[in-house]
Amino acid sequence: MSRLDVEKLTVRFGGLTAVENVDASVASREIYSIIGPNGAGKTTVFNAITGIYEPTTGKIEFGGRDLARPFTWKVGLAAALVGLATGIAAALFAVNVDALWRATIRRNYAGPGATFSPSAAWADVGNYWRGQLALEPIRGGRWAIRTADARRTLAFAPNRAEAEKLRERYQELIAVAHYERKPNHLRSTTYIDGLVLKSRAGKVLDRFDTEEDLQLALARYEGIYRESAARRRNAWLALIAGIIAGAAGTLTVWSRARRTPEVIARAGIARTFQNIRLFRNMTVLDNVLVAMDRQLKGGVVRMALQTPGIRRQERDACSSATKLLDFVGLADRRHVLAKNLPYGDQRRLEIARALATQPQLVLLDEPAAGMNPAESLELNTLIEAIRGRGHTVMLIEHHMSVVMGISDRIAVLEYGRKIAEGTPEAIRANLKVIAAYLGSEEVT
Amino acid sequence: MNKRQPAPRSLTAQLDRLPQWPLYLGILLLYPLLVYPEKVLFQWTEISVGMQLTYIFIYAILALGLNVVVGYTGILHLGIAAFFGIGAYITGILTVPAYPFGIGFVGSLICASLGAALAGLLLGAPTLRLRGDYVAIVTLGFGEVTRFSLRNLEEITAGMRGLNPIPPPTLPAFLATPLSWLGIQNDWALDYRLFYYLALGLLLVVILLLRNLERSRLGRAWVAIREDELAATCMGINAARVKLSAFALGCGLAGMAGCLYATALTSTAGPDAFDFSRSVIMLCCVILGGLGSLRGTLLGVLLLIGFDNVAAPALDGFLQRANINPDDNPWLTFSNWKLMCFGLALILMMRFRPEGLLPSRQVEAELHSEAQLHREGASI
Repeated sequence: MSRLDVEKLTVRFGGLTAVENVDASVASREIYSIIGPNGAGKTTVFNAITGIYEPTTGKIEFGGRDLARPFTWKVGLAAALVGLATGIAAALFAVNVDALWRATIRRNYAGPGATFSPSAAWADVGNYWRGQLALEPIRGGRWAIRTADARRTLAFAPNRAEAEKLRERYQELIAVAHYERKPNHLRSTTYIDGLVLKSRAGKVLDRFDTEEDLQLALARYEGIYRESAARRRNAWLALIAGIIAGAAGTLTVWSRARRTPEVIARAGIARTFQNIRLFRNMTVLDNVLVAMDRQLKGGVVRMALQTPGIRRQERDACSSATKLLDFVGLADRRHVLAKNLPYGDQRRLEIARALATQPQLVLLDEPAAGMNPAESLELNTLIEAIRGRGHTVMLIEHHMSVVMGISDRIAVLEYGRKIAEGTPEAIRANLKVIAAYLGSEEVT
Repeated sequence: MNKRQPAPRSLTAQLDRLPQWPLYLGILLLYPLLVYPEKVLFQWTEISVGMQLTYIFIYAILALGLNVVVGYTGILHLGIAAFFGIGAYITGILTVPAYPFGIGFVGSLICASLGAALAGLLLGAPTLRLRGDYVAIVTLGFGEVTRFSLRNLEEITAGMRGLNPIPPPTLPAFLATPLSWLGIQNDWALDYRLFYYLALGLLLVVILLLRNLERSRLGRAWVAIREDELAATCMGINAARVKLSAFALGCGLAGMAGCLYATALTSTAGPDAFDFSRSVIMLCCVILGGLGSLRGTLLGVLLLIGFDNVAAPALDGFLQRANINPDDNPWLTFSNWKLMCFGLALILMMRFRPEGLLPSRQVEAELHSEAQLHREGASI
């Protein structure tokens, strides 16, 4: 059964094609090598497999399935929640949260010792939304009649009862003004009687000396109506735009992170890097423990309190990390900082770190780079031993002693295309490979 | 495996290996109880060193929060003061008598921490995928946005005046008697020592929890992200989530410090107390002490904030009393040289000790590797 299937993989960077139509099928517990001259696209294949690059076209299946994160109800819920939060935040900005605070909290609480009723505050949210005029106490026991956002003061009254009456009147005036100033509206005789504004019931609301004054007053009241209507409209717009923007943003971010290195690593593919990428200022042991992250459980609170369960788990993790370091021969250096290790040891630490994620497939990117013949011989036994532990190994290598010594199958890349694949013997005899890779010396 | 035999050590070398923190903790615990240092030793400074120590503890919590973000996780955060301010203003809104909530100190401490952490989450979730300098710009911008919001939302935050008075915490009844035996009055306004112990206690709790986190899975993931984000994600670490956790925790601690600050000051102190320079000074504390090091950060705060709050005013007072500067010449006032000294200290640090005064794991790991190997030797 094949563990990893790469079908027609193409990776392009702008106009440059790094890998073109590469197929590869790696069987379980196989050692599969990719060789080829520098710049042939070997590391690009690795990067595409581990999710660092998105394949331009082609399919990568691991154990028979695509590793991209599936769309679940959780993603939909998260998008909806983020959208709602964004929408509400935007709507709060649109209705002017500062004025809303004044309308709900300040107007309902007179100061220390006074009572505060949340239900009245909640009712004031509705009043603010509808643009109802509000009463505010001012100095000297007097009252002011103001717009809901307190930006305009309409009138003053000597006491509360008087203020209520005035508010009633202004409310009606605003309604009349809104009715009378509709576009293409013929002047009604119900509300305007000469220079007098009346309510529907016929009560006189206001008198004016000239027609101009009357029109000015109507415009002013209409302005108040329009302000609150505009606020409502803007709030709805902001809410809807916020929901759409928030949800769309969440889905965009999610869709871009469907095939991240982290998802792939969790599915069971681990790798090393051509230019060593250790956590340089961490100890050797910590480097391995970081890779065991997925196997450790417990939330932030339990970690902060170091509960006995967490401690036991930590001890177990330390001992299995030490065993792993023993496997690559670094156990006695586990408290050294990674950057202080010699080069060959750093390579082996990277292998140990990759193994610590408990992968089914290990990708080794030039593990023997910079090693002397004796060291690379040791590496051969190490890679064999890794296979012996049940891992499948994929290898990029230039050292022919390593490649030819341990590979089950070898693929040869040149200029982004696969030119040959087969057993080491077959590759050794392949004329194309000899011409392309081993140079003309053999041919002449 | 070839084990080295432990070399026989002299008495002084053995003393050197003893942990030093109990000594420092003892001094800090005893300091307010002794009359001598405050009344005699520091009398010349004419300021209450104990009271300033309280503020140093509060800033230490703030710096430790910043250290989680900048030191451990390597995200350059230039707006920590915003979260400090958010904590202070949440405390103000929830406790001042002008508003109906009045939930008291403990409630506001929790709300301020959680509120600031939530603000951090909201800021971090969309922006932490940016890399390097861009995050720094986002946090810098957020800091200014927050300051201007605090200034302009006048109905909520009272604008430039700030919210006050913030009532002091209430002391549990069972503590009042033992404290009176120690000679501590049950009055937060008259006796700084209640708040001193409160801030010290919270600081110790924060240190303990951070130390535990530092040695746990999450702490390792933070540092791994700082060291090499790509390699960390290739090891199965969800970089976005890990960074977000560090950001939320750091901002939550800043909010907690903000709550303590506002309560100690009995006022939210106005939006300008939480400006960019506050963020930068906290960053300087962390860098001076050593990025990613708990002890280093504490030392950095002690040096920089101690210099700012204690040494500079004390020297000013001294100069004035010695009548060296009768015509009020600005060149002869020490406070005017303060920022110059900060800058000089940082330049010298960067030149001679870029890793900070007390760098973390590097030294620790190298020092303890030998001893730990011997201790664990049997387990392999």
